[in-house]
Amino acid sequence: MSRRGVGLGAFANRNQATQSYATHGANLRSTHLASLQTQLSVFQSLLHTFALEHSSDIKSNPTFRAEFARMCNTIGVDPLAASNVKGKNGRRGLGEGGSFWTQILGGDMNDFYFEVAVRVVELCRETRSENGGLIGVKECRKQVGKGKAIGSGLEVTDDDILRAVRSLEPLGSGFSIILVGSKQYIRSIPKELNTDQAAVLEAIQVLGYVSVSMLRLNLKWEKARAQTVIDDLLADGLVWLDAQGPEKEYWSPQNLLDDSG
Amino acid sequence: MTETAFSFPSTYNFPPFFTPQPNTNTRHDQLKKWAALIQAWCRHHRQQRLALIDAVESPLFHNAALRKRLDLREARAIVDWMAKTEEEGGGGGRAEWIDAGRTVAWIWWRQPAEWADLLAEWIESTGQKGVVFTVYELLEGEGTGSQEFHGMDPEVMLRSLNILVKRGKAQVFGAEGQEGVKFF
Repeated sequence: MSRRGVGLGAFANRNQATQSYATHGANLRSTHLASLQTQLSVFQSLLHTFALEHSSDIKSNPTFRAEFARMCNTIGVDPLAASNVKGKNGRRGLGEGGSFWTQILGGDMNDFYFEVAVRVVELCRETRSENGGLIGVKECRKQVGKGKAIGSGLEVTDDDILRAVRSLEPLGSGFSIILVGSKQYIRSIPKELNTDQAAVLEAIQVLGYVSVSMLRLNLKWEKARAQTVIDDLLADGLVWLDAQGPEKEYWSPQNLLDDSG
Repeated sequence: MTETAFSFPSTYNFPPFFTPQPNTNTRHDQLKKWAALIQAWCRHHRQQRLALIDAVESPLFHNAALRKRLDLREARAIVDWMAKTEEEGGGGGRAEWIDAGRTVAWIWWRQPAEWADLLAEWIESTGQKGVVFTVYELLEGEGTGSQEFHGMDPEVMLRSLNILVKRGKAQVFGAEGQEGVKFF
């Protein structure tokens, strides 16, 4: 540690010191950057080779695909990055045409998710009057797996479904993923659930169904509040009414999917 | 023919299915599901006629395990909906009331015109053009044992035959109750 100067010259000294610190910092930064860039490009080419080598696995094996996608996600490579974002995120090194995946896998990967997305959209539309435009990701996956709508079944994971739904976002589709309790849903109607509604749906997940008195008991709600939330859910078609018991019961149609359409 | 148990869809075990839904969209979906179930049920039991008063006591409208049931009024509402055409916002003419009191209905899991197609096809594929049958033969004869129209309601058979008559593909003659038919 140098002792701080006391004369007028100290000012000049200090300036000099700051300046040299700054240049040194810049030097360090640029070396870092250069080495990082090398690392990245090495990594990218390795990823490239890996993807090429295992492309058939990625396409056909859902578990492998999910793991691969998860890995890409962790390192900030988006398998679904469409051609409209090319160049923005420094992937120019791989050339200009299409996304990372289009180049690596010849567009098959995008096609795959596109197909999944089409099926998801179809299913959501078909079942909208049944479930009010809210469908569990798991239920959706099962149904897409069965592939009743078009062609044969498509072996997919929940992750594939989520990815497919997210790939629809740029289209302004109004499809979104929401979390109720610990369960993920696809919301195909651009209408948000308020916290009370989400709380009731969560209660139904746990209890099977709810009634006004159950809500008052479990959530300590006023009667009017419980009734309002339920009426809203009914109006949105998110719950079905059973009026044949001693008290009106409200059920979620999430388990109905088996025979819809 | 061996009688296998009818397998109910999962909706049948969904308690709210038996309560008319207050939400219009949900209601529409519910009606669609009921219409499909009723048709599947009648098809399984090879019946065209559904008497609601009996049906509300049968497993079709009474889920004993859930202790839920469809009351007569609701059953009627569903059949009403099935009877309407799709243009009228109904179930596409898949039912038709037999009596004015709306207690018994035809359930058209196959409409008379569709039965007519089936008959014409059978005649065509077995090379029986120009052959004369009695209606009884068609319904109960050995020659039709494997056909779906074997044992069907005679009234529906006659209606289907009359559609073929209108198409110029058959001619029905004879006294009521002992009609004969010739196919062209």
